[in-house]
Amino acid sequence: MTDLNKQIPPKSAKIATGAVVCVESEIRGDVSIGARTVVHPKARIIAEAGPIIIGEGNLIEEQALIINSYPENIMPDTEEVEPVTMTIGTNNVFEVGCVSRALNIGDNNVIESKADLGRNVSLTSGSIIGAGCHVNTSEVIAENTVVYGASGKRRVQSEKPQPQTLQLDFLMKILPNYHHLKKAVKGGTTPHSGWAAVWVHNLALGNVSLLP
Amino acid sequence: METLCPCWVGEHPAEPKPDRVIYLVRGEKKTRSPLSQLYFCRYCSELRSLECVSHEVDSHYCPSCLENMPSAEAKLKKNRCANCFDCPCCMHTLSTRATNIPAPMPDDPTKTTMKKAYYLACGFCRWTSRDVGMADKSVASGGWQEPENPHTQRINKLIEYYQQLAQRERQERDRKKMARRRQCMPMAFSQHTIHVVEKYGLGTRLQRQRAGAPLSSLAGLTLKEGEDQKEIIIEPAQALDEVEPLPEDCYTRPINLPEVTTLRQRLLQPDFQPSGASQLHPKHKHLLMKRSLRCRKCEHNLSKPEFNPTSIKFKIQLVAVSYIPEVRIMSIPNLRYMKESQVLLTLTNPVENLTHVTLVACEEGDPEDVNSTAKVMVPTKELVLAGKDAAADYDELAEPQDFQDDPDVVAFRKSNKIGFFIKVVPQKEGDTDVLVSFKIRHDFRNLAAPIRPNEEAGDATTEAIWLTHHVELSLGPLAP
Repeated sequence: MTDLNKQIPPKSAKIATGAVVCVESEIRGDVSIGARTVVHPKARIIAEAGPIIIGEGNLIEEQALIINSYPENIMPDTEEVEPVTMTIGTNNVFEVGCVSRALNIGDNNVIESKADLGRNVSLTSGSIIGAGCHVNTSEVIAENTVVYGASGKRRVQSEKPQPQTLQLDFLMKILPNYHHLKKAVKGGTTPHSGWAAVWVHNLALGNVSLLP
Repeated sequence: METLCPCWVGEHPAEPKPDRVIYLVRGEKKTRSPLSQLYFCRYCSELRSLECVSHEVDSHYCPSCLENMPSAEAKLKKNRCANCFDCPCCMHTLSTRATNIPAPMPDDPTKTTMKKAYYLACGFCRWTSRDVGMADKSVASGGWQEPENPHTQRINKLIEYYQQLAQRERQERDRKKMARRRQCMPMAFSQHTIHVVEKYGLGTRLQRQRAGAPLSSLAGLTLKEGEDQKEIIIEPAQALDEVEPLPEDCYTRPINLPEVTTLRQRLLQPDFQPSGASQLHPKHKHLLMKRSLRCRKCEHNLSKPEFNPTSIKFKIQLVAVSYIPEVRIMSIPNLRYMKESQVLLTLTNPVENLTHVTLVACEEGDPEDVNSTAKVMVPTKELVLAGKDAAADYDELAEPQDFQDDPDVVAFRKSNKIGFFIKVVPQKEGDTDVLVSFKIRHDFRNLAAPIRPNEEAGDATTEAIWLTHHVELSLGPLAP
């Protein structure tokens, strides 16, 4: 099974119904996007070194970059590297121009504009990474932490940031008026996918012929 | 002094570049600064720097709501704005936000209606007033109170006592002075007294009153007549033997780092100086002030801003760049030890009439020439600068004035600017910058001086006086 996975690398994103993903966004690799998530045009979600799983209710704004890239000291073709999945939870906000390479992001986090997250940071829930802050330590950031300031000062706030439900509802109504959306695609190459994937799989193996 | 914007990402700046062209100010203290930071007193016809002028407060205003506040009110409110708050965590300005909360209607307790509740929030560090336990208020502004300092009463009493003491001291001092100078004019207070630092903040109003007048007329606005006669008695502070002991787990309790306040956060609230972040209450925003500058010799204003806080213009603006020709460095070739090289400088004429400029190299043993590390040969001929013509850009038919410039000296000429060469021979080897100094002598027409009722009829133009300034140029290091 794993061989076949490598032979047919999944090319299309799995977009759940109810998610609004604009056509102008760039989604490469094995990405699955949950319901009620809004991906703005010019957002980039790139799964190079492994799949990305994005939860529900997330807001990914323009020019945000969510990338699951190879760690810097490993060339892509030299060794066989295990693909590591990047998981993003629910109700997160990725503001304009932020870069996120973090492998684990929990729920209700806000990553403000031009923030930069390294690969080994783990956000739990309720954190706010302030605008322009670079966080590339390898640590688990506690709940309800705010990182702000040029030197990355931190403090703990008493409550998590509000989920952007109003904004999400508004966007889900307005964006389709002005942008084409990527179609919701179910299935892929996971073993538990639907009949379409099985058909494609068999086609690759040569078991099914296209001629009537 | 420089301040970094909090949003800046990147490396901290290197040392600020040294100013390239500096002028010497011959005041009480010899300061050297670039022309853009200097003022020119056109009554004394001299350059003035910030250190040889007196600074006076013009008006107070809040930097966030731009509300003007009269000085008396500012003093009462301890120079703080009534409406705006500062975040205790990052010192940004707090903004008021509203949420809808269900609240029971006043008529019918069973039904609930949405009412607006307001809280303060910081846009930068996301601090909210709920973090320290301050309840949401039902009014948008005016509902927020700073916590009371338990020692306020004692402090106020002490201040009153010391104010009275200072007042009495000043009266005695002035009485002695008047007794000595009985023959002088009745102008009671000398220049010196006005500039004397006031003790305990009594106010300049009292200083300007005439001495010898009865005590009651010296009462300021705060004291009523008759009350100032009353002695204020304070209890001396009592020293206690026992001090509150430290908590037992002081050394063993693990520190909760997010809860500890930084020194800056702590010291911005000198009343309480809380050590825990959950006790940081917001303070009212500090007011800023507009200042006016006054020449100390002739007491004329050099700079007086507009009263309106939203306006950045000036009523009086006697800055040096609009009176003195400015020297700027245009290009520097590779400088080598003991080798002559040509440096291209520009001279700009800020006034509207023709200006004649002569450059003179500094002589040996000139007391003003302290820093130079190179010899300089300046053009000997007089340079003529055209006047600044505001309409020059639009007037295409204007004939270019013919000045017959020597091409060895003058590189180019453009409206009121001229480019000329100087020859530099660096004298010192090593890492130090090459510093060159010379004197610039130009004619200045004083339009401010009153036209004397002159006996010579027909002398309509104002007389030109010649001013000399000492200029130092920093040309950078020697070429490797």
